[in-house]
Amino acid sequence: MISFFSFLPLTRHFRLAAALAGILVATAGLHGLAQAEPVPSFVQNGVLTICTNPTLPPMTFVKGQDVSHPEGFDIDVAQALANRWQARLSVITMDFTGLFPSLSAQRCGLVMSGIIRTPAREKSFDAVTYQDTALVVVGRKGTPSLTSMDELAGKSIAVESGTSYITRLGLINDTLVAAGKPPMIIQQYPTEEQVVQQVLIGRVFAFVSQDVELFFRMRQLGDKLHVLITPDIPDYHHFAIYLRPNAADQTQLQSAISALETDGTLSALRTKWSVTDQSTKNGAANVSASSMFDWNAFFSALTSTAFLHGALITLSVALISHIIAITISVPIAIVLNSPQKSVLKIVLEGYVSLFRAAPTLLQLLFIWNAVPQFFPIFREQWFTPFLATILALSVNESAYQVEINRAALSAVDPGQELGASALGLSRRDIYWRVIFPQAFRIALPPTIKRIYQFAKNYLSCVCYFTAGTSGCDTDTGCTHFCFY
Amino acid sequence: MQHETTDLPMISVRGMSKLFGEFVALDRVDFDVSRGEKIVVLGPSGSGKSTLIRTLNRIEPHDIGTLTINGKLINEKTDPIQLRCMVGMVFQNYNLFPHLSVLENCILAPMRVKHMSRIEATALARRYLEQVGIPDQADKYPIQLSGGQQQRVAIARALCMQPQVMLFDEPTAALDPEAIVGVVSIMDELAEQGITTVCVTHEMAFSRRIADRIIFMDQGKIVEITPPETFFTTPKTDRAQNFLNQMLRY
Repeated sequence: MISFFSFLPLTRHFRLAAALAGILVATAGLHGLAQAEPVPSFVQNGVLTICTNPTLPPMTFVKGQDVSHPEGFDIDVAQALANRWQARLSVITMDFTGLFPSLSAQRCGLVMSGIIRTPAREKSFDAVTYQDTALVVVGRKGTPSLTSMDELAGKSIAVESGTSYITRLGLINDTLVAAGKPPMIIQQYPTEEQVVQQVLIGRVFAFVSQDVELFFRMRQLGDKLHVLITPDIPDYHHFAIYLRPNAADQTQLQSAISALETDGTLSALRTKWSVTDQSTKNGAANVSASSMFDWNAFFSALTSTAFLHGALITLSVALISHIIAITISVPIAIVLNSPQKSVLKIVLEGYVSLFRAAPTLLQLLFIWNAVPQFFPIFREQWFTPFLATILALSVNESAYQVEINRAALSAVDPGQELGASALGLSRRDIYWRVIFPQAFRIALPPTIKRIYQFAKNYLSCVCYFTAGTSGCDTDTGCTHFCFY
Repeated sequence: MQHETTDLPMISVRGMSKLFGEFVALDRVDFDVSRGEKIVVLGPSGSGKSTLIRTLNRIEPHDIGTLTINGKLINEKTDPIQLRCMVGMVFQNYNLFPHLSVLENCILAPMRVKHMSRIEATALARRYLEQVGIPDQADKYPIQLSGGQQQRVAIARALCMQPQVMLFDEPTAALDPEAIVGVVSIMDELAEQGITTVCVTHEMAFSRRIADRIIFMDQGKIVEITPPETFFTTPKTDRAQNFLNQMLRY
């Protein structure tokens, strides 16, 4: 939505648009000097700078939360190149649409971001191929392989929403319809992880993905999937490193890549990142299994890293926000329970009524989208969706918790305070030693019920919201669905 | 108790009034209580008895007039904690802390207010629990005890602060007759030990036996202050006579 990375899934594979942008912005710096030195001209002051959009595992992606430190095959290849040229590697991460303009503007020497080699891009930039790739149609293990894309007619196909696969499948559908066949039913899911799960549980027949991403994913999934068909799509065969047009640089880069290929560096990296197919290709051997209920598919979804990560986020959001909510709510409850009238009391009554009445999702959106406009400090990098969620839910839950606390405090016999003050105990001791311990026992069951209910019912939705706004990657995101 | 030769009264009340909004709960009350004296406050419901003794430890601060305890003027500037170390109180509903054991009820204030060590406070508490006749209940929780036992704990708890004055606010009103006998006998014992006592009660026999003087109240005013033998045989006022007739009928 607002986040820097939130648009990334939309543009991740949308190479055509990016190519057009490249053409528009590219400058015609065609006259690079042919130098005899072994170091290409884009390595400046001993630094090799690359631009990357870290959203395509295993080529370039972010593991965990630190967006400024991407990893993957591309990053390791760049490091190997830098080592060759005795340069230091500097990685700049950015939105996909920013990659080629940045290359033109000399903010980086190379664009390495798992980008397909296309003639359209080569009009403005030089390209050096370093890895083969292909589009793949993937089904559950046991599904017979296909000989033609026509066999997909009438079948349901899952794709990650916002990707260029949808356009490609649309083109295939056009030819199917023209041939008098039923079109494929295209179902979109927000993350690659969910796309894969749909196939595993049998909701869809197959999904479309990029082979490298699939092979990488196979590492976690074992041999539950297999490639049904690899359609031959023109202009979709190679990943390329892009550089500003310069014949000498291109040659040097080409020879460096060839050298890395020859000395086994690239093949070692391919193995490290599972860029090539390492699964056993015996998919069709076990046909009978496909129609039966597969407990493993169900449990592998439950125990997948993405799901466990989501569960962890859910639990920590529930616990942290409730700890904060309880801390805030105790003093508010004490003020509201006191017999004196005051302005503070009226304000707090308003607070409680407002945050109990307003929908939680509205409050989340308000904290995330509106608060930064009032307070510039919330526009900074530290204000992550996770923190925004904690903040919104703490405020929201504190309003409910105030009511629990008020009930608990009222339930403690007023004679307790009288008895305690007659013994000379200080206000502090009266609350901490006499009233709170009793109120705590009364408040505990409804509070625990509230936390449990909250984590169970609300947070699946909330966590999904958090993942969506953070541009959560398939490897780190949640697989939660919103059920209402 | 240290021996005081001075004639200075323990409690001295002059022109004291207490208002709840428009309602006059105490109306220009004057009286003195000497050191070691036992006062019983009698009067019909709503006459201001409870309000009177609650003003004596400022659980209900008075609005007009002066209150002097042990020579110290008691007002809004008085440290309430010091005052309550000096003046102990026992309530009709005991007000024991249900989340603490009997012993913990007794040692909480000595430790937190008088900063006694746990060992010191425990020894003190056991001594007073012994005195009120329930030394073997120390580790039980209030809810495990009968009403009479709970009131004994409340008395022991107040005594643990070693006050110079004890206030009893209808301590036997919630008890059955058998339990009343037990609690009254403890109060008899305390009276013998010479602690200054102000007690609101309806126990006529007890009042007659231990009171040095009876304060009779009606409608927020002190109607008469007389020794018990005079009060129970020849009360000065018709109001007191009526009250006694009512009480003695049952």
